[in-house]
Amino acid sequence: MTGAPAHGVAGAPASDGARRLARPLARRLRLPRHPLVRHLVFLVLGAALFYVVTVNVSSYNDYQIGQIAVYAIVLGGLSILTGLNGQFSLGQGAFMIVGAYTLALLQLHAHVGLVGELVLATVIAAAAGVVVGVPAARLSAPYLAGVTLMLALGLPQLSAQYGSVFGGEQGLTTTPPVAPGTISSEQWLSWIQILCALVVLVLLANLVRSRFGRAFKAVRDDEVAAAVSGIHVARTKVLAFAVSAGCAGLGGALLVLSTGVVNIGEFPLALSIALLAAMVLGGAGSLVGVWWGAVALVYMPTWSTSLSQHLSLGTSAAAYLSDAFFGVVLIVAMLVAPSGIQGGLRWIGLRVWKAIADPSLQGPARDRHAGDGSADSDVRAVDVDPDLALRVGAVPPASAQGDVVSPAGDRPGPSSATTTHGHLDLETKERSSP
Amino acid sequence: MLQVDKLSVRYGPVRALDEVSFEARDARITTVLGANGAGKTTLLRTLSGLVRHQAGTASFDGSLLTGRQPEAIARMGVAHVPEGRGVIAELTVDENLRLGTFCRVRRAERRGAIEEIYERFPGLGDRRHRSASSLSGGERQMLVIGRALVSRPRFLLLDEPSLGLAPMITAQMMATLRDLTAEKGLGAILVEQNARSALSVADWAIVLNLGRVVAADEPARLAVDSDLRRHYLGF
Amino acid sequence: MGLFVNVLLSGVAQGMVFAAVALGLVLVSRATGIVNFAQGAMGMFTTFIAFSLLTAGLGYWPAFVSALAIGFVLGAVVERTLMRPLRGKPALNPVIVTIGLLVVLEGVAGSIWGGASQGFPAAFSQRGLVVGTTRVAFSQFDVFIVGAVAVLVVAIVALFRWTDLGLRMRAAAFSPEVSQLLGVRVGRLFTLGWALACAAGSLAGLLVAPLSSFSPYYMDLNLVYGFTAAVLGGLLSPAGALVGGLVTGLAIAFVGAYVGSDLQPIAALVLLLLVLMLRPQGLFGTAEVRRV
Repeated sequence: MTGAPAHGVAGAPASDGARRLARPLARRLRLPRHPLVRHLVFLVLGAALFYVVTVNVSSYNDYQIGQIAVYAIVLGGLSILTGLNGQFSLGQGAFMIVGAYTLALLQLHAHVGLVGELVLATVIAAAAGVVVGVPAARLSAPYLAGVTLMLALGLPQLSAQYGSVFGGEQGLTTTPPVAPGTISSEQWLSWIQILCALVVLVLLANLVRSRFGRAFKAVRDDEVAAAVSGIHVARTKVLAFAVSAGCAGLGGALLVLSTGVVNIGEFPLALSIALLAAMVLGGAGSLVGVWWGAVALVYMPTWSTSLSQHLSLGTSAAAYLSDAFFGVVLIVAMLVAPSGIQGGLRWIGLRVWKAIADPSLQGPARDRHAGDGSADSDVRAVDVDPDLALRVGAVPPASAQGDVVSPAGDRPGPSSATTTHGHLDLETKERSSP
Repeated sequence: MLQVDKLSVRYGPVRALDEVSFEARDARITTVLGANGAGKTTLLRTLSGLVRHQAGTASFDGSLLTGRQPEAIARMGVAHVPEGRGVIAELTVDENLRLGTFCRVRRAERRGAIEEIYERFPGLGDRRHRSASSLSGGERQMLVIGRALVSRPRFLLLDEPSLGLAPMITAQMMATLRDLTAEKGLGAILVEQNARSALSVADWAIVLNLGRVVAADEPARLAVDSDLRRHYLGF
Repeated sequence: MGLFVNVLLSGVAQGMVFAAVALGLVLVSRATGIVNFAQGAMGMFTTFIAFSLLTAGLGYWPAFVSALAIGFVLGAVVERTLMRPLRGKPALNPVIVTIGLLVVLEGVAGSIWGGASQGFPAAFSQRGLVVGTTRVAFSQFDVFIVGAVAVLVVAIVALFRWTDLGLRMRAAAFSPEVSQLLGVRVGRLFTLGWALACAAGSLAGLLVAPLSSFSPYYMDLNLVYGFTAAVLGGLLSPAGALVGGLVTGLAIAFVGAYVGSDLQPIAALVLLLLVLMLRPQGLFGTAEVRRV
């Protein structure tokens, strides 16, 4: 918007486009301006919404809604790690396992109550995240992908190796918390899961706006620049890993409370990849988009079961189709729509908003489109750059034109390029024309 | 003859080339001069197909260059020696040269063509099986010119060949270039920042500034235009 | 002593399979800079096709050769349809596509052929050979494995070093733009690189299939071990892939025998991390090239 402060970007959420939409919207709805208060308002509203829904649907639906909430937690952490901090992890499944087994073992050997179990699952998973994060901080994206993939494959085997502790192939069992009064246990558990999800997402949203969140983003965009401005790059990256691992651990623990059983078969490699796909589907870096991804994760098996029946494939085909779907999501997203659903919505939203002619949006938006006509500059999830960070997303305007086969050595003179995109750089830190 | 007609290239909102028009004749050296960022490298890269144009045309002996793939343009006989030389350091000297023979020289004649280059540039012959990374700057320049020549080209595009070379070597190289164009009837477009040495060998000079042609004349006349020299050529 | 020798031998045989996977990874990585995470899955898919051919009555060797040919074509198709549109975009996008391709192939294979482990026949006896008076853990089939991969490596090395095509491929990999200016059809050579890589993956898949539980996931661990082998070797040369494969194979075999077979993947992970931390360019890479 005209007059958007150059330095006001500090603490901007991962979706600057949404912020542009949100401010005038917020003013019109007269929402509180302070971010924390705003988040708490959303938390209360969200809780109320979920309450209304869960009491009015069947207990199986409650179970599913709870699952959605659980995956939202895991995806939230992954979104921070990959979308905001630019580190590429295929190993979230491994951290979910850590949280899940921690909870099961605590239930078996110690009595710390539900809260204690969940907290410890989160903490221990986060600690595992630190252990992995330290070497991971030094790796660039393809190698980090390879290492986390190996983690996702290798960690589960540990439980087979130490079968006496971990229950071997059959694994361990868990007991869900006892519901008070006449409330069904599915509903009670789903409330717990939803509450955790809302709390975690609010915390993550605050994290994004805090100086840690700014550090995450700075490291993603340019490690050297971040280091020069006083950010401890390695510590930042490890922290991001720990946060995402903690989220995954909490998610894993909550998940196995629903299913009642913990074994390595619950967390195959395909799950870790599906998590990545779900995050991309929702929009990497978007904490709102995690809900889309979570819905996909929960409902895909159901849909693929009907699809496989429709195509009269075997009964086991459903699970395979579901896995394949997430693979297709990744492929299609990279080829066509890197910013996912949330990105697409933002794009549509901004288009609609401009059509309604909000003058405060015209100026900079028009500058941004000067000469390139590409909407992608607005819709930025993340851009992919193997050297510095993971940014999965739209291509910078110049090459979006498809004109430059290979950008030339002659740098354009001191002309419009930098000045037109001047404040753009601050806002979205995109790579402007070569 | 290489003809350029109102060629325009843009990077986003920036005009790298703005309706550039000129002719570069066979057996002549046409030099393109200008400050950094004037569009000289973009011009060559557009001519050789690495960069897509937005408007205008470039053609060689009547066949269009614009819109063709770089590989096809190379096969037409337009050889581009890029900025930074483009020595493939992981290959040997001989392998670099062999690579140049693939597109236009018949298999039976390839070894002969390579040996001709070794005769012209004895320094290369001595090092033929050494890794190209072990060559000095001047030797590398010889190598890439040799690699361009070995394909029996009909036109040369040279991007700042004097970059990083000592003045004496530059002078030798320019002299070699002169001889080659005369001997083989080759035309050449020579992009240079070192305007003085370029003007000393060129038959025609074009000056670019911010993507536009601001002067096109005989080198002798450009050299005495002190305003031009100061503003665009730096001497 | 007996155990040691047997572990050594089985490590060599396993290592050759990892080398074949690593070779495919190296071919793609060197040409295009992409790490192809679908390398194992592509091999798995073509091997399942071979399985169908075998159950339909085709002989072993025709099915074997068909699988290699199908792998070749599959690699070319993947490069053309999925990788080509992403050229010029940030380099991580194609890597993510290969990850998606991995699960798509596993999902499709599972849908078509079912998930239960099935038996894949071996061309040679899998009983240990008799040396002197003892039976060692090295069978005719293991000899075949070592021989087949050795032939593959030699063929690739010969291609690169002694043929014009190999020179063009190397040039296209090292300096694609300069090569274009010399008339080299870089795009076609990338496709060829992928095709060869996938054929190597098919070979690995065929060699491993009789030894393992033949399910759509059977190449997952081999991919991971192949990745370790490739990084160990430096991701640059076929020779590096071979050496990396052998080292990884031996390491895995020893861990499996003396520590526990379930710890093998973690051991490979540790090995990989050690290499990446201590000598990121691998055994054969040059320090300036590898930014990890």
